[in-house]
This record gives sequence, structure tokens and C-alpha cells, in this order.
Amino acid sequence: MFTSFRQSMAWLHTWFGLALGYVLMACFFFGALSVFDREIDRWALPETRFAPQPMPSFDKVLLPAFARLEADPADYALNMPALHDAAKGPQTPRQELPPDEYWAYTTHRDPVLAIGAGFRVPQPKDPGLENHIHANATIDPRSGAAVPSDQLKIGSQWFYPMHYSLNWQWQNMGIFTVGLAGLVMLVALVSGVIMHRKFFREFFTFRPQKQTQRSLLDLHNLTGVVALPFHFFFAFTGLLIFAGFYYFPVSQFQLKPLHDQHEIIEARETGLPHQRAGIPAPLASVDAMMAEAKRRWAARDMAGEVGFLQLHHLGDANGYVSIYRAGSDRVALVGEAIHFKASSGEVLREEPPRAAVPALNEFLTGLHLQHFEHWLLRWLYVLGGLLGCACIATGFIFFVEKRKRQHAAAGSPGARVVDALAVGCVTGMVIAAVGMLVVNRLLPAGLSGKGEWEQQIFWGLWLLAFVHAALRGAPVAQARINPAWREQCWAIAALALAAVLLNWLSTGDHLLQTIILEPYWAVAGVDLSLLAAAGLAALAARRLARREQRALLSPSAAPETEVVHA
Amino acid sequence: MPEAFWLLLACLLSLAGMAWLALAMAVHWEQVMLQPAARAAGVRLLLRGAGACALALAAAACLLADRPSMALLVWLMLLAASALTVALTLAWRPALLRGLCALRG
Repeated sequence: MFTSFRQSMAWLHTWFGLALGYVLMACFFFGALSVFDREIDRWALPETRFAPQPMPSFDKVLLPAFARLEADPADYALNMPALHDAAKGPQTPRQELPPDEYWAYTTHRDPVLAIGAGFRVPQPKDPGLENHIHANATIDPRSGAAVPSDQLKIGSQWFYPMHYSLNWQWQNMGIFTVGLAGLVMLVALVSGVIMHRKFFREFFTFRPQKQTQRSLLDLHNLTGVVALPFHFFFAFTGLLIFAGFYYFPVSQFQLKPLHDQHEIIEARETGLPHQRAGIPAPLASVDAMMAEAKRRWAARDMAGEVGFLQLHHLGDANGYVSIYRAGSDRVALVGEAIHFKASSGEVLREEPPRAAVPALNEFLTGLHLQHFEHWLLRWLYVLGGLLGCACIATGFIFFVEKRKRQHAAAGSPGARVVDALAVGCVTGMVIAAVGMLVVNRLLPAGLSGKGEWEQQIFWGLWLLAFVHAALRGAPVAQARINPAWREQCWAIAALALAAVLLNWLSTGDHLLQTIILEPYWAVAGVDLSLLAAAGLAALAARRLARREQRALLSPSAAPETEVVHA
Repeated sequence: MPEAFWLLLACLLSLAGMAWLALAMAVHWEQVMLQPAARAAGVRLLLRGAGACALALAAAACLLADRPSMALLVWLMLLAASALTVALTLAWRPALLRGLCALRG
């Protein structure tokens, strides 16, 4: 079939890239946005625009906040009938479930605090399981007051899950699709490097004035090659993060007995009880435990804040408190856990330094999940993500450019279809994301189910972009440019500008305010990025218009397309 | 703010390093200097060495700013950003790079 190895690699690269490129595009674009997910949250939830807070006092703030939590009605309705043993009596009402586990989690970028509880099912079918009905909430750590839960955190609850699951929860299909796309990304990188004849000779080469196919391929190679380590490690570590839990969950299937046995042995060796004792016990001061944990970290020359706090087996003699250090100053995530006996506050276990393999795993997952405090590296990650987008988008357009004349001559719709899909998933995705921010500022804060509306409008706008691209695609069938590219660029520019203005009108936070008068960089950064996006989109739209004109004047001249990402 | 200083230095060094490596290549030398590359073979060899040194020094500056694990990531991403900047400058404003090499062939 293929006369050379390189040719077979080219086939692989082209067709697998085309098939899963659309998914990869979403992964890269929303991944780049997720680097600043907390900052987008602040932009979208103006009442949370205050400085990041450390873990608050447990005894004064957290305990009353935990006590107010109730098991989530949806979780209760779904899981209670499955976990409860009907033979032992009727189901315990939702509000009367006893709490078994509390947790709180924060990073150096969080003004608000995520907390949660696991409520125990008193009469479970299988006492060996965890048997929890959960509750999640967000609180203001300064007062303990709850932040309204029907307001969507657009950054961390919509763009971020979009990045790894496409927000497609059914049967975890989104996560598996993204995993497949990640694998294809690795394949595309390897085959791409093999296909690329002049990896070093054309390292710095981009010739915008050459004919379209040539300059597109230059840009495709450039954006792929200069950020090759980024592309490789993010695809690889993305797969690694989900490998054990979703992609190869051997510990839940083939190796389940071994896994369960390991948990019991681990509990015995670490002295951290696996099960409740059934003997009631009080809770000692958790503030004192946090202070002791910080003292021990400082003594190990790694002073730090508490990032994650978890209380197990609440109110039981076997209860213990795990306190994890926030990983703000290192690549690896939260760690250096110290575990305390809940009833007395004595230290049960201080986790020893990691061995080489877990340390490497922590580094690899940490470099992807980025809990560190390093603004330069965060922005460089955004650049890496956008380079990935540019690489995939130029790949699509190159595919179209290479074939559209032949397809036009043969009357085949192939190029037109691919082009319309590319428009919808390049500019359409940006329209959906920016449009969601506009809608966030337009809908009143008190609207019930505001988050639902925002999600529906996000999908609606994206769908509209695809429909628009398909309807306007006729010129591609005549080997010309789809005007939808230009029109959607204008839409991006208008929406991004509107978002900045609406933020000013609805909150009073204009750029002068957030940069100079009362610096709040989370909001200023989102506004500035939106303005940059608007500028780039307008520039791209004007260039596209010029090329469309030129192509109309001299139909023989090669029409050109320009890709700019925001 | 010593970290900020070392990081700024790392940015400048990696940018200069990438620009020198590009100028060491015949095609880009001609693009920037508007003279045949063959006449400047010696200078270009020198530039290649200078470029490599600058990139190594950029890594050292990253190491002075952050712990090694973090410095590695910053350095790799800086290389990407610098290479892109150099490539785009070569495409649209090649004359800007002329000042980076006082020696002509």
C-alpha cells in the first residue's frame, strides 16, 4: 500500500489527526483556559473577588460550616437505594445521615474554599465498602458563609472539565474520548517528527509571503516543533493522570482482591484505621493539629500552608485527621501528609519522603495539574496550549487547502465538510467560550439556575457556529475561502469587547480600577486577555477580507487563509 | 525580588540564544544581513557557540530562580517561547535582529 515508511507515517498522521483533531482542539483550548480557571471564576462570580485566603480556623469557621452540610439530594436519590440494605429496616432520611468524613481544599489562588462531607449509610449492604452519600459546598473562608451553589464557576467547573471530559458525563464517554485523543496526539507527534524532513534546518522557518500551502505547513511545523516537549509531556501526563483510575482500572477489576488486601495491610502498617471502631469519641482541636503539622514541615525546612485537610471516621474512636501541605512552591502536588488521632491530637504517622517512582509520578502529574505559584510558567503554559491549537488548526486548513481544488473539480464535498467542521471547532469554540462570559454578565446574579442557562447557551452558541459555517461553506466547493472564518472572527472580536464592557457596567471593575486603583490581577488578566483576543480576531478578520477580495479579483491566484487564535 | 531578576535574565538569555542560533544558519543570516552567508562562515560558527552558551546560561539563571524541578519546566517553555519569537521576527521584521550581531562578514 505504501512505498515508504515515511509515506505510511504521513497517512497515519493525516487521517488520525483529522479524526481526533477536533477533540484535541477542545483539549488544548480549554486546557489553556484552565491554567487560569480560578481567575475566570473570579471574573464570573463578582462577589468572590477578594484576595486568596489560607486554610481558615477549623474550630471556629470550618466545623460550623461542615455542620450545616446536608447530603446532596441527587446523590442520595441515586446511591442510597443501592447502598442501603432494605432487609435491615427503612432508609435513613437524607437529613439524618450521620457524617463520616469531612474535607476542605484550597490553593494559593483560591479566595473561596471548597469543602465537602461524606455521610455514612447506617445499614449498608456491604459494610466493607465506603458507603458514602456526599455533599459539596463552597464557603467564604473569612466568615464560613456558603457561596450560592447554583452559580456556576465557569473556569473550574465548566472550562476545566471541558478540557478533560468535554463535559460529556454519560458512561465517562468524554473522558475516554479525550484519552483516545491524547493517545492519537502522541502518535501524531511521533509520526509528525518522522514526516518532517527538515526538523532542524527549518526550526525557525515561517514564510508568510509564500503560497498558502507552504506557509501553512511552515506554521504547522513551527508550532509543533518549538513546543514539542510541551505537547509530548502534556499528552503523556494527561494520559498518566487518568490511567490508573479510568483507562486501566485493574485495581477495581482484575486485581481487586489484591487491591483490597493492600488497603488492609496498609492500614495496619501505617496505623491509620481502615474501619470505624463503633466506639464514640470526641474531636480534639484540629487547629492545634494544623499548627503542629506546620511546625513539623518548618522543622523539615519546607515551611508551608495547609492545602488539604481530611477527617476520617468522624465521632469514632478510630477517627483520624490527615493534613496535607499545599504544593505552591514545587511541581509535585499536595503532599507531606501528617496524620493525627482525632480524639487526642497525637501524631499517628508522618509520611516519609517518597521513593523514586512515586516521586517521578508526582512530578509528572504535578507538572500537568500545576498547583505551583509561578506566574511566568503559567503564562508559558497558556502559550504552549495556544501553540497546540494553532498546530491543530493549521493542520485542518492544510488538509483543506491541499484538496479543495481537486475536490472542486471532481464535485466532491470532502474539503467543504472538513472546512466547515474546522471553522466550527476553531472560531466556533472561542465564540462559545467568550459568549458564555457575555451571558454570565447579562443574566442577573439572583436568577435561579443561572449556571444551567450559561451551559445551555454555551452549547447553543457552539452549535450555531457549526450551522453558520456549514451554510456559508459554498465557496470552498469552488476552491475559495469560506467567509464564515471572517464572520466568526468578527463575532469573537465583538463578543470579547462586549464581555469587557459588561464586566465594567455590571461590577464597576474597569481596567483602571483593577490594574491601578485597587489592583486585582485575576479580573484584570481576564479582561486584558479578552481585549487581546478581540484585537487578534479583528486583525485576522481584516486580513481574511483582503484575501477574499484578492481571490475574487484574480480567481487564479491562490486564496489564502490566516489563523489566529485567541 | 531576586527570583524576578533571574527569570528576566533567563528570558533575555534564551531569546538571545535562539536568535544567535538562527543567525548561525545560512538562510537566516542572508535574510537578516542581506549578504551572502558564505562570506561570514567564521562569524556564523562563533554565533552558534554563543547561542548554545546563552541557552545554557539561561538554564543556569532558571536554576538560580527556582528549585531544579521547576527550573527545568520554565527553561523548556522559555525555549519554546523564544524560538517562536525569533521565527516570527524573522518572518515579519528580520531587520530587528541585525543589532544582535555587531560582526558582519
